[in-house]
Amino acid sequence: MSDSDHIIEPHTSTLHTRREFLRTSMLGAAVSFTLPVFLQKTFFTLDAMAADSAVQTITGKDGPILIVLQLAGGNDGMNTVIPYADDAYYRARPIIGIKKETVIKLNDYAGLNPGLAGLKGLYDEGHLSILQGVGYPNPNRSHFRSTEIWQTASDSDKVETDGWLGRYFDSCCKGAEPTVGVAIGNEVPQSFASSEPTSVSFSRPEQYRWMNGDRTGASEQVYREMNTPDPTDMRMLDANDGGSIGSLSGPPISSRHGETNLEFLQRTALDAEASSDKVLAIARKYPASVTYPHSPLGDSLSLVGRMIAGGLATRVYYVSQGGYDTHVNQVATHARLMTELNDALVAFAQDMKTQGNLGRVMLMTFSEFGRRVTQNASNGTDHGAAAPMFIMGGGIKPGLFGRYPSLTALNAGDLAYNVDFRSVYATILDRWLRAPSKQVLGRQFPLLSLV
Amino acid sequence: MLTPLQSRQWDLQKAAHLLNRAGFGGTPDEIKAFCMLGFDRAVQSVLDGPDDSAQFPKPAWAVPRNQVEMRQTMMLMTDADRKAMQQDLQKQYRQNDMDLINWWLGRMRYSPNPYREKMTLFWHGHFATSVMKVHESYLMWMQNETLRQHAFGNFGLMVKAISRDPAMLIWLDTRESRKDHPNENFARELMELFTLGIGNYTEADVQEAARAFTGYRLDPVDESFRYAPMQHDTGEKHFLGESGSFSGDDVIDIILRQPSCSRFIARKLWEYYAYQDPSPALVNALAWNFQMSGYEIRPLMNAILRSAEFYSPDAVRTQIKSPVQWVIETSKVLETAMDRPQVTVNALRQLGQLPFAPPNVKGWDGGRSWITTSTLLFRYNMANFAVGNGPLRMEQFRRVANNNPNPNPNRNTFDAQNFEGPNLARIIPQQVRGDPRRLIAYLCFRLFQDPLTPRDTQTFIKYVSDHGTDDETLRELLHLMMSTPQYQLT
Repeated sequence: MSDSDHIIEPHTSTLHTRREFLRTSMLGAAVSFTLPVFLQKTFFTLDAMAADSAVQTITGKDGPILIVLQLAGGNDGMNTVIPYADDAYYRARPIIGIKKETVIKLNDYAGLNPGLAGLKGLYDEGHLSILQGVGYPNPNRSHFRSTEIWQTASDSDKVETDGWLGRYFDSCCKGAEPTVGVAIGNEVPQSFASSEPTSVSFSRPEQYRWMNGDRTGASEQVYREMNTPDPTDMRMLDANDGGSIGSLSGPPISSRHGETNLEFLQRTALDAEASSDKVLAIARKYPASVTYPHSPLGDSLSLVGRMIAGGLATRVYYVSQGGYDTHVNQVATHARLMTELNDALVAFAQDMKTQGNLGRVMLMTFSEFGRRVTQNASNGTDHGAAAPMFIMGGGIKPGLFGRYPSLTALNAGDLAYNVDFRSVYATILDRWLRAPSKQVLGRQFPLLSLV
Repeated sequence: MLTPLQSRQWDLQKAAHLLNRAGFGGTPDEIKAFCMLGFDRAVQSVLDGPDDSAQFPKPAWAVPRNQVEMRQTMMLMTDADRKAMQQDLQKQYRQNDMDLINWWLGRMRYSPNPYREKMTLFWHGHFATSVMKVHESYLMWMQNETLRQHAFGNFGLMVKAISRDPAMLIWLDTRESRKDHPNENFARELMELFTLGIGNYTEADVQEAARAFTGYRLDPVDESFRYAPMQHDTGEKHFLGESGSFSGDDVIDIILRQPSCSRFIARKLWEYYAYQDPSPALVNALAWNFQMSGYEIRPLMNAILRSAEFYSPDAVRTQIKSPVQWVIETSKVLETAMDRPQVTVNALRQLGQLPFAPPNVKGWDGGRSWITTSTLLFRYNMANFAVGNGPLRMEQFRRVANNNPNPNPNRNTFDAQNFEGPNLARIIPQQVRGDPRRLIAYLCFRLFQDPLTPRDTQTFIKYVSDHGTDDETLRELLHLMMSTPQYQLT
């Protein structure tokens, strides 16, 4: 990233990027050995960058963008992409089954939920693909365990800490701005967890900033100073031998990333400070180009659209729509969720077209599992397994992929998967993000012809 | 084995550390008084704090719902009346949930025995149960009292009490577990999260244990635990290498005999009070004595709080404050009242730790997961509110879920509330205001119980030298000192 890419005028006392900060600190080479661990790492990474062909430059102005949309709670895939021509569907779901005449037909077997008319439009335009029967071997029906499996791309009998996108950041985005991964909300998803954590989260740009009770502006200066690591931090030095490298004995209590909690907080504070300036500047300058529906998901995607318009240096955005755990009287709830999903996605696609960025974005939906084939005693559905995924964007190969899983040859009452979700990830990594999927996912999964 | 701290090593900083970790911190005067007790009596006061039950009586709404009676009443109503009544009840229940949270936060803040509250908070995160599924403040309150009662008691008795706890029976579906359809939910979490940790049992053990917990029911009239013998599977079970017609309590007794159980709990307590990733030798030493004592929690805590390791640089001011710790400790060090329940509850929600509503049965991940760029800025802005600088602009709450399968969109916005903040004359005495150096040293002790680095100290001294010590500047100074990575540590 070059200086000309800065999208706002630098505040005189502000260090807008880590690299700028490093340059500044390096002016006093004598203090560089006292840099906190994360800065040392970044420093070495910058050196290594030229040699490492996998490392990508993220400017926010060009290059592909991935938006991950989590349908949290376990979306009922069978009422999303409906096997309307199968009598077994109506036998299993006499009350909650979607009536054949209202299904939006995709082919002579399957069709979309009546709430997804806008998605059918995108499908016909060639901007949507639908993957059927996505899942993984030995499915887990616990929300948090199955979410973890999707977030880390692990086998279902292995527990991993780092997320699949975090490993992509590690492999390909070293030295990038912390905004390389943006989660809309207050939490950072596990899929962003990485050995060198980088990513930010926010939900309201106007509140994603430091507020104060000072009218003079003087405290802003102090705030920035206190939230930029102190290169002369005496605690890093061993007072007895005249300031030799104190970190030889290691800082107290190092984490697996070799970083103390204080250093972790300092890094996050620096990321917050630098990113909030940029996010706020973009938010002020770029209102949404289209009207989004008033729903939490609409709000989130609208924000993503504005950040893309403003060229935030981001490769992956993460948004979530909750409420899919439909155990009881699901018909009205699920219909509302489908409509919210449809309206928000249609608005987002329109926004991207208006911006001229549809070709740069790919949006992927996932849910931790589908639901049982058979409705339960409360006119809802319990936790199941395989389910469909949607992939939307201007640069994708549209169509209906995979086979609809059999409704009669079930795996413990659930649909059996026929596409491993990690094949979807691998395809997105290799073909969309141009990242070595084998390195990121730990082994080579078969690629799909999605892109 | 752990090294006990020598009494002569006890000083103000260690007293502050013990008060922070075993409780929710204190004012400079409270720290000094705690230090003056001496090491032995200070630890003793943590382990044998006074009973505060009289001060925090049962809330008026904490009574069982008579489901039978309610159903009968509703049956005799017109549809419209029934609907109106249900709406009234929903409103009442929401208010009760708010009251419940604030009842507990108030107890943490004002109890003469905050140590038991801190320990109860640990057990709440351990046996994590959420009102989002249980839906009854009364049952959540009752579980909280059960956890409090056993907080420093016997772990085995606590697990048995929890296995019969009405909120838990709902939370993990035990009440629906029948002889011919055992529900594995409780049995699985009992081993995975409550006692042994993953990898120390098999799927077959889960299935066999589930059979032992069949027949646990809730009384529809008074919502208490009922054992339904007809629904209990009395057959022989094969569990963790033993065989017999085990009951639920038998299963718990077998679990307690596993060394992995004492290690799991000892490690988790150490991490809550001292620091992450203790050495295996340290965990084994704690676990051995824990198991030998028959799982008595008080002696285990005694060993932890008296160890030199607990007061080592690995521990002191290295822990990221949980949101609850942040809120209570802030109220204590600023000597402000906790009388803005709506702000507090919404802030805790945004910061990711709403008591009685953990994200799932795993509880809160804690540690670094408390901190993201958005929660860190929110903490800084919450500090702005806490010092009395102005209203906190609350965003509409929306939880973007990771590990949160049931995000509950609560889209209430409410008017920003103003807060007068601390009494500055009281918390920053006139005699320390004359000299900026002395003022900053004084505030460092009040807020951090520890000096800052020379650069940071100098930054604040300069701020005061440039701007004086009028109330407005002092408020902003407090806010600035709290808008730091350092203030997030305890």
